[in-house]
Amino acid sequence: MADTELTQRGAWNKVIANLKKRSLWMLHYCTGCGAVELPPTMTSRFDMERFGIMPMVTPRQADILLITGYLSVKTLKRVILIYEQMVAPKYVVGFGSCTINGGMYWNSYSTIKSLDQYLPVELFLAGCMPRPEAIVTGFNALIDRIDRGEANSWEDYYKNYDFYHKNQLHAFGEIETHHDIKSDGRYFGIAEAQR
Amino acid sequence: MSGQSKTMDTDRPAAALGAARSAADLVVAIAADANVAGFSVKGPRRVEGRVDAASLHSFASALRTRVGFEHLSAISCVDWLADGQFELVYHFWSYRDNCLVSAHVRIARDSASMETITDLWQPASFFERDIHEMFGVTFQGNTDLEKYILTDWAGPPPMRKDFVSRDFAHDHFEFKDYEPSWDDLVTGGYHGSRGVAEGSNE
Amino acid sequence: MSDIVTASDGRDIMPGAFAPENREYNMFIGPNHPGIEGNFALKLTVEGDTIIKAKTEAGFLHRGFEKLMEERLFIQNIAIVARICVPDPDPNEENYARAIETIANIEVPRRAQFIRVLVLELSRIASHLFTFGGHAGTIGLYTMPNWSISDRDRVLDLFEELTGGRVYHIYNMPGGVRRDLPDGFKDRVRDVMNFIEDRLVEYDDLFFNNKIMLQRAIGIGILPRDKALAWGATGPDLRAAGFAHDVRRDDPYEVYSELEFEVPTATDSDAYSRTMVRRREIEQSIGIVRQVLDRMPEGPVWNKQPNPLKWRVPAGDAYVRTESSKGEYAYYMVSDGGVRPYRVHVRGASVTHGVHILENMLVGARIEDASQIMFTLDACPPEVDR
Repeated sequence: MADTELTQRGAWNKVIANLKKRSLWMLHYCTGCGAVELPPTMTSRFDMERFGIMPMVTPRQADILLITGYLSVKTLKRVILIYEQMVAPKYVVGFGSCTINGGMYWNSYSTIKSLDQYLPVELFLAGCMPRPEAIVTGFNALIDRIDRGEANSWEDYYKNYDFYHKNQLHAFGEIETHHDIKSDGRYFGIAEAQR
Repeated sequence: MSGQSKTMDTDRPAAALGAARSAADLVVAIAADANVAGFSVKGPRRVEGRVDAASLHSFASALRTRVGFEHLSAISCVDWLADGQFELVYHFWSYRDNCLVSAHVRIARDSASMETITDLWQPASFFERDIHEMFGVTFQGNTDLEKYILTDWAGPPPMRKDFVSRDFAHDHFEFKDYEPSWDDLVTGGYHGSRGVAEGSNE
Repeated sequence: MSDIVTASDGRDIMPGAFAPENREYNMFIGPNHPGIEGNFALKLTVEGDTIIKAKTEAGFLHRGFEKLMEERLFIQNIAIVARICVPDPDPNEENYARAIETIANIEVPRRAQFIRVLVLELSRIASHLFTFGGHAGTIGLYTMPNWSISDRDRVLDLFEELTGGRVYHIYNMPGGVRRDLPDGFKDRVRDVMNFIEDRLVEYDDLFFNNKIMLQRAIGIGILPRDKALAWGATGPDLRAAGFAHDVRRDDPYEVYSELEFEVPTATDSDAYSRTMVRRREIEQSIGIVRQVLDRMPEGPVWNKQPNPLKWRVPAGDAYVRTESSKGEYAYYMVSDGGVRPYRVHVRGASVTHGVHILENMLVGARIEDASQIMFTLDACPPEVDR
């Protein structure tokens, strides 16, 4: 039975998933007011590092982009630059209610209302702000998803770049990110969605 | 130790040193030294009054050098749309007397312009720049009125009363649908969140 | 210096290397950087390792708070107003409530005033512990944030018990505070205060008397006293320059005029003095908390205003000032007699510290000290951006 699990590819993927999920580095970028609950999570009381999650300063070596709370349009521009610099596979975690549907700044003229129109989001953590225990639970959920092989939302950026790009243009106009997403997508072998 | 260093210093204007005066005394001092009558005591440690736009700079200068108010706490701007005026409120604090003086100035709303006081108080530059980008008031003589917070903003000055933030947000940003088609998400539809963590409420 | 680019026969092997136009280059300590407190950018022009010019860039955290407050009812604003200053949110709530009370002439019960002082001082202690962690991180001592931020968590546990929220409390209402102290709360506060007092001794050993910290922080980021006054510094930055002004003592609010505390100052006005002033302020805050717990009278805690959804504040204006952990924090509120505030102007303490003072103090500093200067000035970007 289950001969798919015993193939070399399947076993190798499981090993990779096990290694990946135990060494996630989070980009150290406090984008919004939710970031004040990150230091308690990283320091000795809640200690995120026991799961292998550490803050990392450069996007090139980070796996998780944690959008802590709201994003003003000015920050969104930088976040897109950072997101495209991160190397696949990468996971965007929307932290707090502001990423879900605008949160308490729903009527603000300068914050975006829904994060997954601009970036593919792997996981949302509800709360204003989520407590450190909730952050740890959320990261554990992310680790489980990676283990099961379901955490592939980063491919969505290549599949549906037109959608995300259109929303980004509408939000802040044209920027030069020095990454050619379409050709990167072809390199990864990710076909664009046929719509 | 904590109170001594206040009085033994030579880097402060002479009028800022000496015994503290009461709020009522300050009203008299302002009328005498700054040539503006009509100030009144509003509450404990609060004095307020109206100043003409044209004489604000000389009033502020006299307030600093002759009456001894050293600290500019803030410059606020209020948009009185019905009156067609902006009201600039200058809040000055005196370290000698422990009293706040608020000077209210009214200027016309169309082509609003005011003389700068950054030559007297350096902190005024932040407030004047902020009022410039949020309300559209030009400060004559202030060379650094470039946009600071709203550098990517192309709309009207947002703090004006005729700009409604809620309408702007509804026009320019899309909210999530409250009835998403769950089948689409469950079977792998292409945009929308991919998973919600369990038990992650605050 | 020129030995490096001069060959032994006198040739210049790197022509133009020391030409003026090649000596300076731009360096952005951009918003994504662990050495920046919050989401803020510094655009530096450096020559070698020395900063020649600095320009700050804010606006990454702009939410348009003052506009949001105009479009919400008075009671709705209480939920959002704490988010203006992220590390030290309680002065916002207290200022908002006190502005309404001043305009509408609402009396606050005595017990509520004592509880407000308790909350403000606990918030000050939590904010200073957070700043110590940040400052230590800039010089590479990562043990200190692990200690001080998890000790700060005990204060946050107290807040959670009292108000329901760890960081943002929604506790100060116009007319008082929302609920009374739980049973046994005073004993728990005393325990936490004793604990923090003992920990300060351990912090001295780890951080404040650390030889590397002394070498790195003494003499760095000097803010002369006349400049501090001229550039509008307030709070610990001004007190470390030797000028003792504390809003709690000079413009007293709540029951501060009845409490005894000292205002610590220092004379050197460098990064080390500013951190030491904050350390001594924690001691003073612990003393204030103990006095509050001993002297708190019985009585009601909320002078409840009827019909909060239809509630109108009479026309008028008020300028209320508080001493937050960062400096002078003020609200100017204007009401036109309606159900929404007509104008609320928030004067954060960092509008002077994080903008002009920071830009000037970075000139002449070395790149590795830029972070430390920003953290010891305690420039908090959400207050600047609102």
